[in-house]
Amino acid sequence: MNRIAQEFHQKAREKASDQAHRQTIRRAIDTYETAVTKGRARFADYEAARERCAEIKWEAVNHLDRYLDQFETNVVQRGGHVFWASDSEHACRYVLELALRHRVKTIVKSKSMVTEEIQLNADLERNGLRVMETDLGEYIVQLRQEPPYHIVTPAMHLSREQIAELFREKIPGDVTGETHEELVGAARRSLRRDFFSAEMGITGANFLVADTGMIAITSNEGNARLCTSRPRIHVAIAGIEKVIPRLQDLAVLWPTLATAGTGQSITAYSTLIGGPRMAGENDGPEEFHVILLDNGRSRLLADPEQRDLLQCIRCGACLNACPVYRNVGGHAYATVYQGPIGSALTPPMRGLAEFQHLSYASSLCGNCTSVCPVKIDLAHHLVQNRRNVVAIGERPWPERTSMRLWAWCMLSAERFKLASRLGRTMLRVLNAMGLAAPILKSWTEHRQLPPVPKSTFRQMWRNNAER
Amino acid sequence: MQSGKEDRGAREEILGRVRAAVRAPAPRQQSGSVGPIFATVTDPLERFQSECAANHTDVVLAANGDETVTALHRLLASLPPGEIFVQDTPELRRLTLGLDARQSILWSSGGPPPESSQVAISHCEALVGQTGSVLVSSHGCGGRGASIVAPCHVIVASADQIVPDLEAALARARQIAFGNSFVGLITGCSRTSDIEKRLIIGAHGPRRVVVIVRLSSGPSVPEIT
Repeated sequence: MNRIAQEFHQKAREKASDQAHRQTIRRAIDTYETAVTKGRARFADYEAARERCAEIKWEAVNHLDRYLDQFETNVVQRGGHVFWASDSEHACRYVLELALRHRVKTIVKSKSMVTEEIQLNADLERNGLRVMETDLGEYIVQLRQEPPYHIVTPAMHLSREQIAELFREKIPGDVTGETHEELVGAARRSLRRDFFSAEMGITGANFLVADTGMIAITSNEGNARLCTSRPRIHVAIAGIEKVIPRLQDLAVLWPTLATAGTGQSITAYSTLIGGPRMAGENDGPEEFHVILLDNGRSRLLADPEQRDLLQCIRCGACLNACPVYRNVGGHAYATVYQGPIGSALTPPMRGLAEFQHLSYASSLCGNCTSVCPVKIDLAHHLVQNRRNVVAIGERPWPERTSMRLWAWCMLSAERFKLASRLGRTMLRVLNAMGLAAPILKSWTEHRQLPPVPKSTFRQMWRNNAER
Repeated sequence: MQSGKEDRGAREEILGRVRAAVRAPAPRQQSGSVGPIFATVTDPLERFQSECAANHTDVVLAANGDETVTALHRLLASLPPGEIFVQDTPELRRLTLGLDARQSILWSSGGPPPESSQVAISHCEALVGQTGSVLVSSHGCGGRGASIVAPCHVIVASADQIVPDLEAALARARQIAFGNSFVGLITGCSRTSDIEKRLIIGAHGPRRVVVIVRLSSGPSVPEIT
């Protein structure tokens, strides 16, 4: 087992038995589930909404070249700049050079998973820039120097008391008390100064709308609105898979994203930005840049089996639905994207051998598949990743040998009959010698080995048929 | 557009990879459900009011132009004194005539709202029944900052601006998309649930959103002679 996998197993074990952590997560996800149940009921047919969203994203992803080209043409026509970045380094360099050219000192950022993926903050800070996360959850984890715990709720793992303590230490001048309202107020006061002094605003994009050359950003707090209103420069960074064909598609994508993400009918600020301030407008940035990031996405696109992973709209529903995520939490994964989507995406994106353990961090219950608003069959992607790991010979030899033997037995009725008879005898012998447990340790550590049944399946079948 | 040679190369490389990748067809998901996704909104105004009640938007109905003036003045009198940022239109100039002196008006034609502004007053592009949302734009509604900087945002609208659903709202957005650098749907106040999933109203944007809906059609505000 490699080091990354070992760390995952160790952290997972720790977190699964941390009672306070379990309680915080359970409370958060229970609240989420109540809201989502109500949210789905607002649709005449939520399944039809999922179908439609999946169709829209399928259409976009399978004609990505056409829609990216259209999007670019429209953005440029609006006076915006489009930059195509091959990888993290390429994207970060563009932002840094832009910031230095404009003598930027402070940057305000709204929540963006793709900037976590390319490690943008670290890169900018290394070069002397001040980068402030402005989504409350992101701001909290930034102050704690932690990665986000969850795609949608970055500080889900923290209690109000922990956040109060953090604010008292980091922004004492803005703290007036420790209620939820007072803590939100402290962050508001502190970040307002940055909104009004920053020279650059950085956002992600939930969708890139091809037919109008606009980016769609959803935010409840309004921080993305401030990031795109006040600073002189606006940089939006998005994966190439974010493009959608038509503005009209948002009539179903917006409410479905909001419902799957938080249970809302639509997010408070569903915003479209197309270019810098236009002639005659009284505010808005002087420059608007969109970075279209590949970073391995075109490789995923080239595999028709994995292509639908690019349909993901990062709503976080699969994380909340996952029994593994609920037990081990977001940080144990040590990946940018956690939960089922992260476990499906990370191995093909960052290394099948290195991250193979994530394909096994699943009970394959399929809850993720059933909640995905764009109908990505996540559970099967995990199985396919397992198959791919086996195909490159990255599983231990005892497993490979025994699975091959098992397959050989299963392919013939006679061999199966023989194997089940032999297996029973062997299990009895092993049990009697007290050996079964050590051999099957990883299984029996947390479970009891069932006693060997009196008769085989075939015998039981025969007896039942006679009756 | 890409500036350097190397960067233009990246564009061609990425698009080339994408083109080659999508040449291999991927299975299309089977479409099972075909029914309507949302129920038809039969009474848009009524729906707008009930959705607003749920999403923390205050709705004030005004029978005509006179009542709109009264409603606006009453609302402003109830707020703490301070700077009022107002979209510079003939209608809003007329509406805000005669405000008392403790409130100073900043017009959108003079620039964006300052951090200190207490209230912003603007028009909207449409009101959306289905979600209780307000469609705003940069050109048509006093700029990007008008709807986000001040802690209270007042929207002066008329009932004929109500559209039934998001489909219709986006059709309107499509019409104005190329004439505005910003178009946005606002649904309720600024909010966060980032601390223990507890809903708190008033994160970075307005804590209060008020929509004054004038029910009469025809000329908006009585001409003051």
